[in-house]
Amino acid sequence: GSKQAGTPADNYQLARRRTLQVVVSSLLTEAGFESAEKAAVETLTEMIQSYISEIGRSAKSYCEHTARTQPTLSDIVVTLVEMGFNVETLPAYAKRSQRMVITAPPVTNQPVTPKALTAGQNKPHPPHIPGHFPEFPDPHTYIKTPVSENNIFISFLILRKCKEKEMHPNPEPAKCLISVTLPLISEGRNFSQLPDLLCLPFSLLPVIAARPFTVPYLTALLPSELEMQQMEETDSSEQDEQTDTENLPLHMST
Amino acid sequence: MNRKKGDKGFESPRPYKLTHQVVCINNINFQRKSVVGYVELTIFPTVANLNRIKLNSKQCRIYRVRVNDLEAAFIYNDPTLEVCHHESKQNLNYFSNAYAAAVSAVDPDAGNGELCIKVPSELWKHVDELKVLKVHINFSLDQPKGGLHFVVPDMEGNMAERGAHVFSCGYQNSTRFWFPCVDSYSELCTWKLEYTVDAAMVAVSNGDLVETVYTHDMRKKTFHYMLTIPTAASNISLAIGPFEILVDPYMHEVTHFCLPQLLPLLKHTTSYLHEVFEFYEEILTCRYPYSCFKTVFIDEAYVEVAAYASMSIFSTNLLHSAMIIDETPLTRRCLAQALAQQFFGCFISRMSWSDEWVLKGISGYIYGLWMKKTFGVNEYRHWIKQELDQIVAYELKTGGVLLHPIFGGGKEKDNPASHLHFSIKHPHTLSWEYYTMFQCKAHLVMRLIENRISMEFMLQVFNKLLSLASTASSQKFQSHMWSQMLVSTSGFLKSISNVSGKDIQPLIKQWVDQSGVVKFYGSFAFNRKRNVLELEIKQDYTSPGTQKYVGPLKVTVQELDGSFNHTLQIEENSLKHDIPCHSKSRRNKKKKIPLMNGEEVDMDLSAMDADSPLLWIRIDPDMSVLRKVEFEQSDFMWQYQLRYERDVVAQEEAILALEKFPTPASRLALTDILEQEQCFYRVRMLACFCLAKIANSMVSTWTGPPAMKSLFTRMFCCKTCPNIVKTNNFMNFQSYFLQKTMPVAMALLRDVHNLCPKEVLMFILDLIKYNDNRKNKFSDNYYRAELIDALANSVTPAVSVNNEVRTLDNLNPDVRLILEEITRFLNMEKLLPSYRHTITVSCLKAIRVLQKNGHVPSDPALFKSYAEYGHFVDVRIAALEAVVDYTKVDRSYEELQWLLSMVQNDPVPYIRHKILDMLTKNPPFTKNMDSPLCNEALVDQLWKLMNSGTSHDWRLRCGAVDLYFTLFGLSRPSCLPLPELGLVLNLKEKKAVLNPTIIPESVANNQEPVISSNNHGQSVGFQNTFSNSQEEEEIDMDTVHDSQAFIYHHLNMLERPSTPGKEQSAGEINMHPVSAAPLSVFSKESNSSKHSDHHHHHHHEHKKKKKKHKHKHKHKHKHDTKEKEKDPFVFSNSPASARSIRSPSLSD
Repeated sequence: GSKQAGTPADNYQLARRRTLQVVVSSLLTEAGFESAEKAAVETLTEMIQSYISEIGRSAKSYCEHTARTQPTLSDIVVTLVEMGFNVETLPAYAKRSQRMVITAPPVTNQPVTPKALTAGQNKPHPPHIPGHFPEFPDPHTYIKTPVSENNIFISFLILRKCKEKEMHPNPEPAKCLISVTLPLISEGRNFSQLPDLLCLPFSLLPVIAARPFTVPYLTALLPSELEMQQMEETDSSEQDEQTDTENLPLHMST
Repeated sequence: MNRKKGDKGFESPRPYKLTHQVVCINNINFQRKSVVGYVELTIFPTVANLNRIKLNSKQCRIYRVRVNDLEAAFIYNDPTLEVCHHESKQNLNYFSNAYAAAVSAVDPDAGNGELCIKVPSELWKHVDELKVLKVHINFSLDQPKGGLHFVVPDMEGNMAERGAHVFSCGYQNSTRFWFPCVDSYSELCTWKLEYTVDAAMVAVSNGDLVETVYTHDMRKKTFHYMLTIPTAASNISLAIGPFEILVDPYMHEVTHFCLPQLLPLLKHTTSYLHEVFEFYEEILTCRYPYSCFKTVFIDEAYVEVAAYASMSIFSTNLLHSAMIIDETPLTRRCLAQALAQQFFGCFISRMSWSDEWVLKGISGYIYGLWMKKTFGVNEYRHWIKQELDQIVAYELKTGGVLLHPIFGGGKEKDNPASHLHFSIKHPHTLSWEYYTMFQCKAHLVMRLIENRISMEFMLQVFNKLLSLASTASSQKFQSHMWSQMLVSTSGFLKSISNVSGKDIQPLIKQWVDQSGVVKFYGSFAFNRKRNVLELEIKQDYTSPGTQKYVGPLKVTVQELDGSFNHTLQIEENSLKHDIPCHSKSRRNKKKKIPLMNGEEVDMDLSAMDADSPLLWIRIDPDMSVLRKVEFEQSDFMWQYQLRYERDVVAQEEAILALEKFPTPASRLALTDILEQEQCFYRVRMLACFCLAKIANSMVSTWTGPPAMKSLFTRMFCCKTCPNIVKTNNFMNFQSYFLQKTMPVAMALLRDVHNLCPKEVLMFILDLIKYNDNRKNKFSDNYYRAELIDALANSVTPAVSVNNEVRTLDNLNPDVRLILEEITRFLNMEKLLPSYRHTITVSCLKAIRVLQKNGHVPSDPALFKSYAEYGHFVDVRIAALEAVVDYTKVDRSYEELQWLLSMVQNDPVPYIRHKILDMLTKNPPFTKNMDSPLCNEALVDQLWKLMNSGTSHDWRLRCGAVDLYFTLFGLSRPSCLPLPELGLVLNLKEKKAVLNPTIIPESVANNQEPVISSNNHGQSVGFQNTFSNSQEEEEIDMDTVHDSQAFIYHHLNMLERPSTPGKEQSAGEINMHPVSAAPLSVFSKESNSSKHSDHHHHHHHEHKKKKKKHKHKHKHKHKHDTKEKEKDPFVFSNSPASARSIRSPSLSD
């Protein structure tokens, strides 16, 4: 039920992924497996997906290299050769007898690429550039920010600000920040000059200072976002397991 | 005396009957934390010459009082604001007496009150016809320090957006803190409650919400509540805030309220409540008495659960989501407790303080029945055992808890609680711990009564009480019937004897009218020739807190042929009891052995004594005596008991006993229990800790991996890689609790060098490292917290403790690992906080352990930052506990001052209370100890705290008294310099005596007589004014002339109708009759020049006369004092007694 409620992009991704899973399963059946662990199928799917993506990516760069916008067959052949694939064997493999026909992925709407997240104010054109030229990109793409402890500290502050305001920062950057901040902290660098980080009294390991909350019970009682996510995941994974057990043997047996 | 009274029905101590009260709060200002409103009491005089009405009121500023629309004069006099007025008198004994006297001077149960209203003379004729009076009082409250608690988060937005709220709170009858009333559990009336609040706010109060009306500007609305069931003012409550509202989906008459954003938690938490309702209604065969029930969850709660008429106020911290395991049973218990008190405590109220035990007992007892049904018999028996152990330990420590104190007219000589440092005459003078234990004992005694008369009869008695009360409550116009809603000890006992036909008087005498528990020592020998078990049971009834037990005692003997119960008669001089055995010693090995529950099991009998058929023996297995048993039997018997006795209490006893027998056989028995899945999980958890202790005692002979490790590996780790724990799956709660406990117990293991084995430490660190909760339906915060506890448990004292500056490099590598883990957890908590911050709490505790063991320098700075206002309360408590510990270990004056200033200034009452509590339990020094902390300034500070600084919170004041007692004892603190006057001249007897303030403890321990016999001016003067109405009366007669000036003075004051009842001025007024005069005798400087000399003179005279009286009494025989005891009652029943010194003058 929750899947239909997802964004079109999610649905699109999911449908492709499903098809790939079916492909992998049928390949496995072909290779003589009777059953496969979910994790193994997942790994193989992941591999096949990255392989296909890589083909697409290189083909695109070959085509762009020759100043074209549409990749041609030769681009793909070059790519395959480059990746160490014996192109000659491909036609024969395609005509093999045990080959299974897989239905095309259901037609879903091509997701609308979301507008890139704008950060900061784009610089206006200087007078010597005509107006019809594209705008400057977002400042963060060309502004230089040398990495220093202070930055990490600041990004940590930003993260906390987000949390405090109950804004929902993209979970990915949040995770990144955690992974960046924590190793640095545990490596025992000297953070004592930073106002927000307090060193343990014994000046050994820096500890983030305790900041009082205005409403302390909220953070203490409500499940954190991560936990909520987990809850959903465990719920949906239970569903997945159900659907998978329904689905997989079906494909295997065909 | 009380019994007699009960037989005749309830006699009000007041010369009038209250029938209806209106409370109207027009305005609540969250910014200024103020409240404005009025009350209107409808009273019927019961005596013709009623000319003064005494009501309770504290903190309130009273603007205007009108009686039947006529302006009335009033005096506001609260002696509890400042208990003692003499600076140098700093012994606790004196304080406690003075405090008890002050409390009884305003005790509504004695017909007293802080607010005394003079009935306008125009109405006297009206009163003589016993016609109705309406007393209308306008009042306001400004920044209340107790009674009403405001929570106003400091952030942007209006009050509703901020989640600001206010609620009533307090210990026992504390309603007088927020509106004038008769603050007694025995004065019932119907109520109309009106609250005008911001439109975004919700006001929750008792009774039915009749309507909510918007004001003209639509910015505010008024909530009108009606409570038609007669209710005591002490059971009235209020909560106002921007609550989210949830109507219970199972019972529409129940509504739940919580603070913004918590609705999902509220839904989950209260989803169980209807089952509790059904349970109580079924066993009591009685409908829930009120037409609705409201639960409100608020922040900064005074207590976790507070029950009021048709409404309960809970701490918001009880809310939890479906992912939390540990909190769920705790919260459900709180809900069930609150509901039990709705029936007994709110609906049925009590006649007097000495009947409190009946209410607490019954509500605790039915709550126990609910526990048994919900959590099973094992949990119930475990709980009973736990409560029993607690009460036994407390009584042995302090010398007894008395459930039903009977006071003989206020003569302290008969004080039944002379072993205590506080008076048990009033709920407000009780130490909090004592009160907790009192409740515990009350429900245990109810259980004993049940054992005696059977549960069926017990429930019939409850049903009878309830049906009487509900009949009475429906008599809207016959207020004299309402006393049926009050329970008294005698009434309760009478119902029991009517229903069951059994005489339980001996039981009541033993456990209710008398304090103390029983202490048994048992040992046995088996006489092979006679095939008789010779059991010896000794009693210790001389130590404090014990009493002698005479009567039946059950002993269960498990023999080879089965289990047999024997009832022994414990008598004065018989110690030995011969019990014939049923089985011959050794017999056919093939046969199974029958157990008590009928089960038959195979046992390996090789361990037992070949000559004796005894497997194990238990004394009082049903816990039908409040006792402590120390029984001696050999180790194999304990092992059999652990393995095969099916009662969890027996198993737990066996585990505790096995600690003394570190043998391979004990080890085996414990590991077997640990592995047995049918075994109760608490027993298994206990076995873990015992196993760790045994392993440490056996360290030189221990073979195999560290205790419990292989077991843990087998149960919770991957098969292929034993060091990696499986992904968490807490679906099975028993194994969850075991998984949590085992590492904690394992960390207590020590090797031959008394260090935690490296293997164990690494194992625990691996558990942390590989902990994976992604697939789990439940949160693992408690589990992770316990893993940190385990790390803390593994810490042993540092080898060299010197003052070198420690850095990461010269730290012990193991400790470094632990420290890194703690730091990581602590930092993670900031980003991804856990439920109730359990992990931070454990981290703080662990850091304190590292400090104490000398691994890292002791420093309270970190803890102090976590103890600040604004952190979650659990975190604050943990941090404060560390600071308290630091104060003790490092003897830091600065930290002690910091703690004490927090006691005075912290916004959260619970924290203030808790600091005092922790300081009392872990004191920086005690009375017999020399400490640099113990100095005069500290004495002064604490004295001030309990004398005047805590007048707004009974619980806090009693906490301060407890701390003062722990630090300095009962007599004058030893660090004080000797008073200038070593000798005191006794003017009356013309002789000199040693100043009582410097009499050493040993003498002072004989307590009150020291004070009274020395005729010390203050104490005598004090009691004169407060406690002894009889003498007041006499003095009035004697000194009519003298009192004229005094009276004139007061009349003057009364003539000003709108005397502000503000605290300060109240204090001043208070000074006149109470303090000024007593002060004048011995105080060196006469600072009371405000008043006329005449006035002083008058009081001086009092004192002399008083001394004489007092002195006489002292030398009179007991017979005489008994007569005296009766007197006050005679007076208190007559209308005249309601007047004190001033009364004749007022009517003149």
